[in-house]
Amino acid sequence: MRLTMLFIAAFCLGLSSESAALHKGLACGSCHVQGGAASDPAAASGRAAGCIGCHSGHDRIFDHAMTTRSGEKTFVERSYAKVDSGFWEKNCTSCHVGGCLDCHGTRDGIAKPSVAVCQRCHKGYFTGWDYSGRAPREDNMRYQRGIAVNGETFLKMLPDVHYSSGMTCGTCHSMNSLAEGKTSSKTCRDCHKPDRKVIEHRITAHMERLECYACHSAWGAQEYGTFFLRFRDQRMKEDFDLKPGSSAEYLRSAYLKKQDAPPLGINSRARVSPIRPMFIAYYTDIMTARNNGPENILLTAEWRAYFPHTVQRGSVTCEGCHDNPARFLLEPESMRVYNLKKDGMGLESFWLQKGQRVINGSFMELARYQRMSGKSPTYKKAYLEKWKIFLNRVEDSSRH
Amino acid sequence: MLIRTAWQGKIHFTILLLFSLQTFLSGCQIGMKESSCVRCHKGLEHVSKTHGDCVSCHGGKPLEEAKEKAHQGIFGIANPEYIGRWENGCATCHRYQFERMKSNLMYTAAGMIRNIQLTWEGEDGNSYTTHGEKQFDAAGKPFSPKPVAELDNLSGELYRKFCARCHVGAETTGVYSASHASGCAACHFPWNDTGTYQGTDQTMRGKAGHSASHIMTPLPDIQVCSRCHNRSGRIALSYQGLYDGNNGMVPTSNGEAGPVMVSGARNLTHITADVHFAAGMECIDCHTSRDLMGDGFAYLNMYLQTEISCEDCHGSAAEIPRYREIIRENDEAARESRSYKLPMQSGMRMIQTSKGRSYSNVFYSQGTIWLQGKRSGKLHKSKVITATPEHTVAGHERLECYSCHSRAVPQCYGCHTTYDTQQDGHDFIKGDYTPGSFSETEDYRMLYPFPLALNQRGRISPVTPGCQTFITVIEPDGNHSKTEYVSKFKGKQQLRFAPFYSHNTSKKALGCAECHSNPAFLGFGQHIVEGNSIKGTLICERSDNKPLDGFLTMRNGRVKSYSAITRENSRPLSGAEVKRTLAVNLCLPCHDKPKDPIYRKGVDYRALDDALHRRLLSGP
Repeated sequence: MRLTMLFIAAFCLGLSSESAALHKGLACGSCHVQGGAASDPAAASGRAAGCIGCHSGHDRIFDHAMTTRSGEKTFVERSYAKVDSGFWEKNCTSCHVGGCLDCHGTRDGIAKPSVAVCQRCHKGYFTGWDYSGRAPREDNMRYQRGIAVNGETFLKMLPDVHYSSGMTCGTCHSMNSLAEGKTSSKTCRDCHKPDRKVIEHRITAHMERLECYACHSAWGAQEYGTFFLRFRDQRMKEDFDLKPGSSAEYLRSAYLKKQDAPPLGINSRARVSPIRPMFIAYYTDIMTARNNGPENILLTAEWRAYFPHTVQRGSVTCEGCHDNPARFLLEPESMRVYNLKKDGMGLESFWLQKGQRVINGSFMELARYQRMSGKSPTYKKAYLEKWKIFLNRVEDSSRH
Repeated sequence: MLIRTAWQGKIHFTILLLFSLQTFLSGCQIGMKESSCVRCHKGLEHVSKTHGDCVSCHGGKPLEEAKEKAHQGIFGIANPEYIGRWENGCATCHRYQFERMKSNLMYTAAGMIRNIQLTWEGEDGNSYTTHGEKQFDAAGKPFSPKPVAELDNLSGELYRKFCARCHVGAETTGVYSASHASGCAACHFPWNDTGTYQGTDQTMRGKAGHSASHIMTPLPDIQVCSRCHNRSGRIALSYQGLYDGNNGMVPTSNGEAGPVMVSGARNLTHITADVHFAAGMECIDCHTSRDLMGDGFAYLNMYLQTEISCEDCHGSAAEIPRYREIIRENDEAARESRSYKLPMQSGMRMIQTSKGRSYSNVFYSQGTIWLQGKRSGKLHKSKVITATPEHTVAGHERLECYSCHSRAVPQCYGCHTTYDTQQDGHDFIKGDYTPGSFSETEDYRMLYPFPLALNQRGRISPVTPGCQTFITVIEPDGNHSKTEYVSKFKGKQQLRFAPFYSHNTSKKALGCAECHSNPAFLGFGQHIVEGNSIKGTLICERSDNKPLDGFLTMRNGRVKSYSAITRENSRPLSGAEVKRTLAVNLCLPCHDKPKDPIYRKGVDYRALDDALHRRLLSGP
């Protein structure tokens, strides 16, 4: 498998340099077919008229998520736009596809996008940043340290096993699939056949009801309580010492960030999948709040089922799911650490389903969790076998 | 800026003035009709019933009319340079407490200084304290430590410019929520968040750098302790259910950073509070005066000075709490409890601390152990756990109570410290700005889960980074002589964890599986299990294969530790111990209650192969 991945990676790199050379051999008119305002052959405004002569159909990318940002737009409409109709323009316009060259190199060197190119937009809390082993840092300047890539600092995390073997985003997210409006061109099972020797793979329920990445996502960035603070007087920002963002009027912060094994829910395929807050969104207009107006307004408490790009061969232990109600947002009060009520957060706990929803799926029902954590004889047998094998291979001695 | 202003110049005078004024007033009201103290400081609160004369505490010349002359000779109680104030002001009456205080770690800071040395440049064969006064060690032998001003290296600089701000020997002003007096007044006079006098003496009202009132607080409340114990271990915060997590400054409070602000522009959010706090107990309800003010001997570390333990009131698995009857009128417990709602009297059976001394507020009566709130007078019943099945799990005698009974343990990962010699920093001991300024950035902070390791008692205890310092030194010419350098500890470049009781106690213990099946509790950090390897997912910047939030790795079945646990005899769990801990998972799916009889004796892991288990496990 490792050799296969290396081969794919090498193939991708080869293609990339090849495409640059190919374009150099073309006559100018091959691409620059229009003049005037539409002279940029790769611009979305002209539906990449200069490119689609050869790359037929690829202009459909302009109809889909990366260009239209429809998902983000509808989110803003049902959240922050209710308190600031200009929120989208002020905070969300820096990342969208405006033409082929956003991703495909420069006019002097057309290229397939590298991972780093995708991460110009897919950074911070957005999937793709995690692929290289990066999790967002806290927003206070005390935590804004270390190397920054594309202006974004990060916590160093275990990178995705596919990234480590040199595979780029395009390996699974082909141009054709994106143009068609799909999220990917390949799924796990297109390349991987689950090994039945692995105990977990022998459990039918696992194979039928779980996404592969429910277990194999080693970690996931989670932001609990996303705050957008609106400053009509920018001088007031100084008191907050938060990372300056692109918006003159806003600062962003969070109540809590984590990057361990992500909570689980049910996705649109009715499979168990990692989920994350996106977003448990709060808003404070500083000036209004200082005049005794409302603050910390909870606009949405939404989660999304998603695929953290943090794949590893291993997984958490059985108890990581089967004895971990908080992971399904069924946290018992006796395990509660954060006291949100006292902080006026409008939720009892981030790890309670009450008052929250999964926008593209659902939370796991309590009855189902109870069945799952009930420890049937089959579970016990498999569990014991798992631990026995593991323990037999752990040495008694250790090194210091 | 506030601090700097306060410290520059006016400190000595201000402090003298404040204290003199405050204490004068109360005292002067008794038999000093012609005193100029009361004439100027009209309305100043009477300090206490037992403290009379202004001059006996403050010195000065009360018969002089002019302010300058009247203030001549005032004792400089709040000024670190005026140590003499102690002897003249409080010690003339409180000699016993004063002599103890001189060796008290909160005053000498010997433990902090030594720990910094150990984890930065190593010990140099000398002992250091804040002021270098003669002391008696734990064995009673006299010794003369050096003043920390003479510790001329990074350790000394760090202590003097960072840590020295909070110790009883120095006043701190101008720091929101953390200002306090020096000396006895640090704990026995109530400072508010702004360190401003708010009493009824109009000459002093609104002035910063003074206690909020002149009424003495013989029994300090939690806020007094919180003024200092809100950093490093942050125990005063965790105890009250507060957390200075990520400095996110949210949720806001009236449009300001919030919800609760403390020193260093840190915001606090709420977490589940310690069960003792929730019951209304304050710091001094558990901590004896000897814990806080010392017992006259100089200890190397606070854990050696502290005499209390959970077992004192709750019993251990094997032994019930011990008590000793008061048989003398001058018994320390009787004397200390004179101002409590229920004073202790002859014949009362006083519960003993782990050092075999009596608590002044915990007693045994009719089969029950009672703890009296020293300030509240409220009686709390203490549950004794001795011989209960869940507390007699074989092997768990090696655990500290708070390994299972902590809900949250603050952990600060990656402390990146820069020492810039191109900038001046305030030396709180020397009282001056000298070349070299410290600044810090950080990687990540969390509360749960928390790692466990062996502490100085050979017990398994929570540990927290202590510290994961990465030091960068900028020389006068701008060159970096050290960049993200990891200092040597025990002769080896390594990061450190320290045994730690977070003071966030929960009544409900961690579940068996919560701990045994989650290798994060063993020190592997957040992780995944892959074959017979445990891979960390949050990685140290300086190494691709070491977790930042742990100190153990397991590769191909081999456990390796790469960080030290500070303190004598402390260490991470060994490979055999890790294996044994994880092996309990072979029993837990069926035997999931700690009360289960199989846990009364050492678990026989081969039992799974006996006929009974084979039959049970081969069934449908």
